[in-house]
Amino acid sequence: MTKVLVVDDDPSLLKALRIGLTARGDEVVLAHTGAEAVTQVALATPDLVILDLGLPDVDGIEVTRRIREFSEVPILVLSAYGDERRKVEVLDAGADDFVTKPFGMAELEARLRVALRHRTARHGDSDEAAQTLQVGDLQVDLVHHMATYNGAQLQLTAREFELLAYLARHAGKVCTHHMILKDVWGPGYGVESNYVRVYTHRLRKKLGDDDGHLLKTVPGIGYQLVAEDHPSPPTYTGG
Amino acid sequence: MTLVQPSRLTMGRYQHSILGVLAALAGLGIVLAILLPLRPHVSIVIPALLFVLPALAGVVVGGSIAGVVGALGGFLFYDYFFLPPYNTLTVRSPQNWVALFVYLVVVLVVAQVVAQLRRAREEALRRTEETRRLYELSQALIGDLNLAQLQTHIVDTVQGVFAPRWTALVLPAGGRGALAPGEVLQVAASAGLPLAEADIAGLTTGGGHARSLGLTDGSEPRRVSVALAVGDHPVGLLVLQDVELVGRERSLLGTFANQAALALDRAELSEQALRSRLLEEIDRWRSALMGAASHDLRTPLASIKTAVSSLRQVGTQLGPADRSELLELIELQSDRLARLVTNLLDMTRIEAGALELRPIAVAFDELVHEALTSLEGIIGPGRVVVEGPTDLPLLHIDHVLIGQVLANVLENADRLSPDDSVIRVTGRVAPGSGSTQIEIAVSDDGPGIGREERERVFEMFSQNGGGGRAGLGLAIAKAFVEAHGGLIWIDPDIARGARVIFTVPAEAPVPAPV
Repeated sequence: MTKVLVVDDDPSLLKALRIGLTARGDEVVLAHTGAEAVTQVALATPDLVILDLGLPDVDGIEVTRRIREFSEVPILVLSAYGDERRKVEVLDAGADDFVTKPFGMAELEARLRVALRHRTARHGDSDEAAQTLQVGDLQVDLVHHMATYNGAQLQLTAREFELLAYLARHAGKVCTHHMILKDVWGPGYGVESNYVRVYTHRLRKKLGDDDGHLLKTVPGIGYQLVAEDHPSPPTYTGG
Repeated sequence: MTLVQPSRLTMGRYQHSILGVLAALAGLGIVLAILLPLRPHVSIVIPALLFVLPALAGVVVGGSIAGVVGALGGFLFYDYFFLPPYNTLTVRSPQNWVALFVYLVVVLVVAQVVAQLRRAREEALRRTEETRRLYELSQALIGDLNLAQLQTHIVDTVQGVFAPRWTALVLPAGGRGALAPGEVLQVAASAGLPLAEADIAGLTTGGGHARSLGLTDGSEPRRVSVALAVGDHPVGLLVLQDVELVGRERSLLGTFANQAALALDRAELSEQALRSRLLEEIDRWRSALMGAASHDLRTPLASIKTAVSSLRQVGTQLGPADRSELLELIELQSDRLARLVTNLLDMTRIEAGALELRPIAVAFDELVHEALTSLEGIIGPGRVVVEGPTDLPLLHIDHVLIGQVLANVLENADRLSPDDSVIRVTGRVAPGSGSTQIEIAVSDDGPGIGREERERVFEMFSQNGGGGRAGLGLAIAKAFVEAHGGLIWIDPDIARGARVIFTVPAEAPVPAPV
């Protein structure tokens, strides 16, 4: 059973989420304010946090920062349409993913599954000596700078490998252009999102992932490496 | 033949001369009447001295012409009546010739000197008068007038000072800008007698540019056109019909035209600035409304969608209690959404001036009941306590709108205060209003509103600002209350919780039956 902390100031949405998530089989903890949310993360140690971006007391971005000071719990942000700038900010602050209101339970569940799956994966190799990252059928060997997908070795340039390794380290999380540039290209970079675009395109070619199922584009925000739900799902061809 | 009024500055010159001549002649008569009976007893020097006086009177009253008349009259009278042989113009003694000659020299010199003094004084007076008038003209342009007022003021002032048949201010129809050939002109303002159609047509079509540069217009006799120029380019024309200007008046009119042009230019600029500020304000208001509305509409929508999709997705796993809870939630949130949409539409219509208030007499407790009915299911029974004197005057309000105001304020109080606390609604006559205003207050036990927030809660702001607790509800309440000429504010003198107060008009008391 998964323990989910839901933080929102709208009691109706809290109620709907509580009933919906409980029916799904989750254990649900509720918080109405940002301060309460931070306390609950510490006390109830949830497996996942669903956090509203517009809270009355402490802004969702600040709540994310405070949680990240002591916890790696996946944070799924509920944001309003048109909040692009703040979405990027909250992702930079350490949130994993976001859902735009209004959302259906199916969409929310899909995001929850991704976040939880990768949390388990990251948890599994959380010892610092981790040398190989596994994201679905993708394997990234950090020691030998080698990557294999579906057992086949990928021919990557150094930069391509760095990018793939970075995304694999943060698998399941939406990585903003800014985060990727800072880490893969270096601290002097930050706005050259076209670099990232070019390299993700090359990576997709080499991964045979032209449709972006594995390496997803989050429009206007960044990229997300997601292991697919089923080991080898049939790809939808024709596009 | 049109009636031509002489310009005021030259008015009276002939009258003055005639008056002077009359004064001189009267003086001659008086001196003669006094001296003639005394002729045997006085020396011939006395008349010579006294006949200086009529000439002086003529000069002082009427200027040099009257002076000359007086002097000649005196000369003749002196010679005829007082130099022997009497009653002839013959002068016998050489001594008397000397007396007559001296008299003539003295009187002419004195008259000349006095006339010069008089001219100097007139000149000084005229200068003072011109300065005063120019000052008045300029003063009229400095005042805080809007463009239309200023245009009227300019033509009125010119009409008052120069008294032509009419004065017209001709400007480009498109507003600010230099007069260019082919520019469409219009008579922006006129004073004096109404302009004939033909005059207007003549002023506004063609030739405006060419004419603007010359003071007088050869095609129209007795018409004076002055260009209103800012810098080197003319921006308009000031046209005076049937007026004759002497040199000094022309320069006066010219100076005034320059100042009028600057004042018009300035007024037009400030009008433009005002317009663009207004547009900006409307723009800002619209985007604030859009931001606030989209947030407030999406909030209930989010929970409705979540609830509905839960029912569809995991409906079978839900117990009957959970199912009915979700359904109830959907219903309540749909109501909230519907109320918001109505509020927003009314608000937009109020702002657009399209919503007409329909005030009727409503009792205070009826109003509270109406508000609570619209919040049924949101605010539980027993949560709201209503207090008010039984003799509270009726309210004179659009009960639908003020019902929404109260509902919004109550909903806010409910949302922000603990579930088990009480919300108090009180009504009373607004102090100091003389029973014309009713004050309605809603108090809650919530966290209260910080000093710096007290104004802002009534503003529409985007949720991105961080706070975002009040949403659109109070902004709408403010618009509706203000549409009734009332006020809404947060009570600053309250220790715990928050107290929102608003005023609405009271029904005028029905006179007691006699």
